[in-house]
Amino acid sequence: MNRLTRFVASVAVVAAIAAPAAVRADDQDTIAYREDIMKTLGDQAASIGMIIQGKAPAENIVAHTQILALAAASALDAFEPKVAGGESKPEVWAQWADFSKKMNEFSMAAADLAKTAKAGGLEAVKPKMQATMTCKGCHDVYRQKK
Amino acid sequence: MTRFAKLAGSVAIVATMLAPVVASADDKDVIDYRQHLMNTLDHQSGALGMILSGVIPDKHMADHIEIISLVASLSPKAFAPHVEGGQSKPEVWSKAADFDKKMKDFVTGSANVTKIARDQGPTEAVNHILDALPCKGCHDLYRDPSKK
Ligand code: HEC
Ligand code: HEC
Repeated sequence: MNRLTRFVASVAVVAAIAAPAAVRADDQDTIAYREDIMKTLGDQAASIGMIIQGKAPAENIVAHTQILALAAASALDAFEPKVAGGESKPEVWAQWADFSKKMNEFSMAAADLAKTAKAGGLEAVKPKMQATMTCKGCHDVYRQKK
Repeated sequence: MTRFAKLAGSVAIVATMLAPVVASADDKDVIDYRQHLMNTLDHQSGALGMILSGVIPDKHMADHIEIISLVASLSPKAFAPHVEGGQSKPEVWSKAADFDKKMKDFVTGSANVTKIARDQGPTEAVNHILDALPCKGCHDLYRDPSKK
């Protein structure tokens, strides 16, 4: 077994352990993938929050906003397959035009925030935070917390 | 027991529960922050794994690898303060030279794979992917996952 096959196999084993019987393995992965992206956003939002509160190094704002932008850019495609489940409400796909508009706007704002951080650092980022972090506006409509 | 005594009692209990992990508010911040970095690595390598297993298209593979390399770039400094706790073994600091070298290899390795993914595409990046994922090699020595 070469190194890649071994890696893929171990990932598959983990996925199999995590899969509830009712959901097909592929669907389970599709849900896990978009949740990995959302969890990344969660850790990045928390890290940025710590920086703003002075609890983590200010200069790290550049990398964290870049990570936020990269994760945001991958988010819409992750929801494209119409696989209900996880914490997604059916409205994600029933109102796809609105959902994708919200996600695209978030992704564009995150990309702008990353540019702002690179050019002006933490002080330039602060006033743009509230307008960028539209997480709750989407979750209120499209996420059902379990 | 008066309400105040009850309140004081429950505060003391909470303080006792937290005491072994949290030496001070600042130390807790240091531990929280490095764990946010590590958890991002976990979720992004999970996302990569789903692409490598063929369920998810490879369109965003370079994005996931770049996130891993960005997190890696922040990691050496996040572990620099000698704050024991979380799942870190004391060896992180007592064997700092080796730990730092492993971190540095992670930083350069993941940056290289990011460059390959951006310049040559996901297929070529797969051939080098393990250079961006030296997770287990470090955890086996420096992380105790049984600790909370
Ligand atoms: C345009 C919509 C949208 C935006 C914007 C959005 N999310 Fe989400 N988020 C969702 C949906 C839908 C889910 C449920 C996913 C699932 O489980 O199927 C979710 C789930 C989550 C979860 C739970 C993941 C899990 O499985 O534990 C977290 C954490 C999260 N989002 C954080 C964030 C943060 C932080 C932001 C902003 C920086 C954000 N999200 C922006 C739609 C969005
Ligand atoms: C050079 C060493 C090193 C490398 C490389 C490394 N880690 Fe870690 N990791 C640690 C240490 C030390 C801890 C314990 C942190 C703590 O809780 O204090 C840790 C903790 C974790 C945790 C638990 C976090 C928590 O909330 O308790 C996860 C998950 C994790 N790492 C994932 C990864 C992944 C995935 C990779 C590779 C992409 C990786 N790590 C690479 C050293 C490393």
